[in-house]
Parts: sequence; structure tokens; C-alpha cells
Amino acid sequence: MSVVEIIDLEKTYKVGDMDVPVLKGISLWIEPAEFVALMGPSGCGKSTLMNILGCLDRPSSGRVLLKGRDVGDLSDGELARIRRDDIGFVFQSYNLIGRMSNLMNVELPMTLKGVSRDQRKRRARELLAEVGLDHRLDYSPLNLSGGERQRVAIARALANDPAIILADEPTGNLDTKSTKEIMKILRGLNEEGRTIVMVTHDIETTENCSRVVWMRDGRVGDDAS
Amino acid sequence: MRLDDMFEYVLLSFRADRGRALMSSLGIIIGVISIVVMLSVGEGLYGGVNERFGDLDMDLITVRPGSDMGHGGPGDRPRSTPEEPAELSEKDVKIIENVGGVGDVYPLKVTNALLSFRGDNTTIRVLGVAPENHADLEEVVDRGRFLVDSDYKTAVVSHDVADNFFRMKISPGNKIRLYRTEEGRHMDFKVVGVLEEDEDPTYASENTIYITHRAMEDLLDLEDYHYSMIMVRAKDSSRVETVAEEMNEDLSRIHRDEAYTVEPLTTRLESMLEILVMIKYALAGIGSISLIVGAIGISNVMMLTVRERTQEIGVMKAIGATAWEVRTLYLLDAGMLGLVGSLVGILLGVLISNVIGSVAMIPVAVTGQSIAFGLLFGVLITSIAGVYPANKAAKLDPIEALQAE
Ligand SMILES: Nc1ncnc2c1ncn2[C@@H]1O[C@H](COP(=O)(O)OP(=O)(O)OP(=O)(O)O)[C@@H](O)[C@H]1O
Ligand SMILES: [Mg+2]
Repeated sequence: MSVVEIIDLEKTYKVGDMDVPVLKGISLWIEPAEFVALMGPSGCGKSTLMNILGCLDRPSSGRVLLKGRDVGDLSDGELARIRRDDIGFVFQSYNLIGRMSNLMNVELPMTLKGVSRDQRKRRARELLAEVGLDHRLDYSPLNLSGGERQRVAIARALANDPAIILADEPTGNLDTKSTKEIMKILRGLNEEGRTIVMVTHDIETTENCSRVVWMRDGRVGDDAS
Repeated sequence: MRLDDMFEYVLLSFRADRGRALMSSLGIIIGVISIVVMLSVGEGLYGGVNERFGDLDMDLITVRPGSDMGHGGPGDRPRSTPEEPAELSEKDVKIIENVGGVGDVYPLKVTNALLSFRGDNTTIRVLGVAPENHADLEEVVDRGRFLVDSDYKTAVVSHDVADNFFRMKISPGNKIRLYRTEEGRHMDFKVVGVLEEDEDPTYASENTIYITHRAMEDLLDLEDYHYSMIMVRAKDSSRVETVAEEMNEDLSRIHRDEAYTVEPLTTRLESMLEILVMIKYALAGIGSISLIVGAIGISNVMMLTVRERTQEIGVMKAIGATAWEVRTLYLLDAGMLGLVGSLVGILLGVLISNVIGSVAMIPVAVTGQSIAFGLLFGVLITSIAGVYPANKAAKLDPIEALQAE
């Protein structure tokens, strides 16, 4: 079973009286343990697609199935549960909470899920150790470098063992060295069997991807192009 | 999200931002302080009056010349010409004594005079009494004896007059002089008794000297002497109203076109207590207004917080917090501020009430009721104040919120 099935997805924003079509009929399958790179010119709709995949936004038409489940009919509350349990987000701007320690940031998805304190602290420590930050547990993310922040964000994305990791330009704000570190971590995760979709503008970051999906003006092409 | 984790989240923001917590709860603290203080003062006034007059003399009825607005008596009848105030005399006393259910009857004459004792002078109240009726005053004699009917130039003084008004204390056997300065007349009296402290019946009081009507008549030297008022004791205090009505009826026969007022003391007390209850709630109302102002402050500070934390709320929602959870978190935030603010407010309120009580000498009563009211109202109003910001937070669109920096 595909992790993600997208069938004839359209997304149209309303700006004033105008309809602005952004996604114009996208169909896409993502299989377990795939590492998909999503590329395309700025404004072609990559983030819009990621937001819909991540259940942060709803399609205007078409169907999106996550693990075989149509998310189109779900309530806001049910979508929040899917984001919590099945999606791991990694954002370009990290989106960590500055007034919480790194440990608490990584705990947060588990806290929302109601995991007991001991269990979630243990897992958060393990995850931070996996990304090489076990010496920064009680720091605020504000005291970390960009690369370190993104590693905390990846640890957080893994907290509830999601079905898919959605990374929208995870290295967009990083220098070459940090980019390499982050890509190494993502490749490692993919090798462990995790499904990853990553938006990127940097062709070099796609060398470990199993597939590159090209987007142009709201439509997808093939790796061929 | 589990409730204890929610509390931890809220506590984290208190700890991280003490200034905000203090600033927003200040209004609540002040509001609850004023509620507790106002209620305690109101309750104290009420209790003080009730205690001073409540137990005593519920069986007393006063008869006074003139009409008293809003109360019973012939004065209430519609009339075209203003009535003369009735002149109360021995005839009235006889009529009253014949009304069923009437016990002791005390005709009183009140005036002021200058009291002179060993070269010191002070103005005091002089009460002319008919001694044979005053079993109640006989009981509260501290030193010496009370007046008897045959007394003429003899006086009994209240405790404060005897002990505090002059350099020397007045004791039974001492000579005093009363001056009527307008008429340029004076009379000498021999003190035969001193009353107990704090034990005067309602109609008597401090700052008073008691003499017989015979002496009073000569002191004032009036052509026709009549009473300032007649106090009547009903035998059964539960029947004062009926006794008063009967007295009123019988008296109306000799005072056809004259105004007088028959009024049980309880009526007075009741209307006074009613006013005090109103004052109490008016004071509490003032306190509540300051609390509401405080709550608006909380609402504003919370709106600011929600705006500052827009991105954080976006993150929370993106990683799976439901709108319900976000709303609960921020309502809890408000509720905790309300609870802590109210508790601090109650503590300070009780403290301030007691300080006011001892400094201003006002009777103050901090009751469980005012504490409960302060706590309940404080938490409730703050929580209500939190509803709008909490809803704002809950309704934030995660995509937009994430883009906020
Ligand atoms: N809420 C919205 N309302 C209206 N238009 C929107 C909205 N969100 C996105 N758009 C428009 O949709 C188009 C696609 O935006 P999107 O962010 O998906 O592009 P992108 O491919 O991620 O670009 P980039 O590479 O620069 O991140 C843009 O033209 C954008 O202006
Ligand atoms: Mg984008």
C-alpha cells in the first residue's frame, strides 16, 4: 500500500473576487521507504502541496489518501490527530519554541499525544542523541546554530514515529557544511526505512533521493525532464 | 494532551514571563482586595449595628411629637393643613399605661446644659426621668443608687461623665452644678449614683446626666412642661407591632389634629439594617467594578501574549494540537492567573480589612462568605476575560501563524 496517494488534486486560493489556481490537477504516489525530492521554480506550488500532504490545508478538489485513508472527509480535530501521529514536519525556519528547552521541544508531539513523562523524556533523549545533540538537552534552541536547530527539528519530527516526514527546504537557510550534516541524517533515516518527501532548490541535495518529482506551474512532471 | 501537562505548559509561561503574570494579575489582585475589604467593612458595619441594637430593647416603642416621614402614626393621613406637634403629658402616659400588653412607660425630657464640677465645665445631655418606672436603669447602677420619685436636687451620671470628663472623677456624694446659659440660671445637684459602662439601654446613652422631672421642670422653668418623648416597653417583644397600633389608636382620641409618631424601635432598626445591607452590596459592587476593570486588563495582556506567541501557537497546531487543546491551554492560563491573583488578593484584603478595622476603629468582619465571594468572582471574571484571547488563539490558521515572526 502506498503511504501517499494523490489523485487529481487541485487547490485554488480566493484572493478577493479572484480565483487563483495554484495546484492544477496533481496525481502522485509515494511508496514506503521512498525518499522523494520535490523540485521546481519558486511559486509553482511546492509548499502548497506539502501543506495539503501534511493536513495543514485542505484540497479544493481531488483526493488525498494517507496510508489508504481519505483525509478529505476528516474534521479539523481528526486532521490535527493525523498531524500529531502520522506526519513529521521539518520546516525551513525550524519553528522550534524558544522558551522551551530542546528536550521539551522534542517531547512536545508526545506531550500532545499524552505519552507519560518518563517515556517521552527517554525517547526525546534518544532522538537528540541520534542527531548528535545529547549535550544540548537543556539549552534553548535560541542558543543553537542553524544546523543544530534543524537537527532538533528533525528529532521532534520523529517523536511519534510518523508514517512520513515532510521537509520543506530543510537546508534552505543553512551553509554547505550544515547542509551536508542534515542530508546525512535524512539519508540515514531513509536507510532505516523512513518515507521522506523533501522540497529543495539544491540539486546536490538530491543525490541520495530515490526519485525527483519536478513541478511546474501547479503540475508535476517526471524525473526525466 | 493530559491535564497535568497542560498545567506544566501554563506554569512554564508564568515562570518564563513573571512580568507578564504580575502585570496581568495586578488588576485582579486589586479587584479582589477591594471586594474583600468592601464586604468586610459592610459586614462589620451591619454586624456592629445589629449587635449594638439587635439584642437590646426589641420590646421598646417610642412616642414622639411631630410626624416622622415614612412611618406610621396619624402623620400619614392625607391632610390639608400642617398639624401642630402633639404635646405629650401625664395624660398620654396614663392612656398608654392602660393599653393591653404595655409594661413599663418612661416619659423622658431631653435637654442640654453646662455641667460644672470643681471648676471644670462641659456641655452634656440632661435626661429628665420618672424614677419609679426605671427598673432597667436601677439594674445598671455601678456605684451608689438610682433616683427615686422623691428626689429633687439629686442626679445620676453615666459612666463616662463620672470618669472621663473632669480632672477629678465624680463619685456619689459629690456636688455638681448645671447651668442653663441662655436663661442665665443654675441649679446645684448632689450626685447619688454612677451607671455602669456600656450597659445603658438603647434610649439612654453616654454623655448623660439623669434627674427627676420635678428638677427638670425647675431647671427649665417652662410655663407648660411636656415630655420630649415617651418610651414604652411591651410585655411581649413579639407583640410590639400590635401594641404600638393600639397605643396609636387610643392616643389619636386626645390628639385629633396634632401630629405624633408611635414607632417600635425595631422598625427603626430594620430600616437601618436594610440601608446597611444596601451599603454593603453597593460597596461590593464598587469592588466588583474594579475587578472587571482588572479583568479587562487581563484580557488585553492575554491578547498581547497570543499575538506574541502566534508562531508558537502555529507550531503547536502544526505538530498536532487541536483547537480545543489550544483554547483549553489559554483558558487555563487565565484561570490560573485568576486563582493566584484572587488568593493573593484575599490575603491582602483580609490584612487590609484588619488594618482598617484597628486604625479607623470601624467594626470590620471578614467572613467566609466574603472570602468565597472574592475567590469565586475573581476566578470567574478572569476566566471569562480569557475566553476571547483563548478563542483567538484556537482559531489561528496554522499556515499563516507559522509564517509570523
Ligand atoms: N494563502 C494563499 N492565498 C493566495 N495565494 C497563495 C496562498 N498561498 C500561496 N499562494 C500562492 O500560491 C503560489 C504557490 O505558492 P507556494 O508557496 O506553494 O510556492 P513554492 O513552490 O513553495 O515557492 P517557493 O519555492 O518560493 O517556496 C504562489 O504564487 C503563492 O503566491
Ligand atoms: Mg515554498
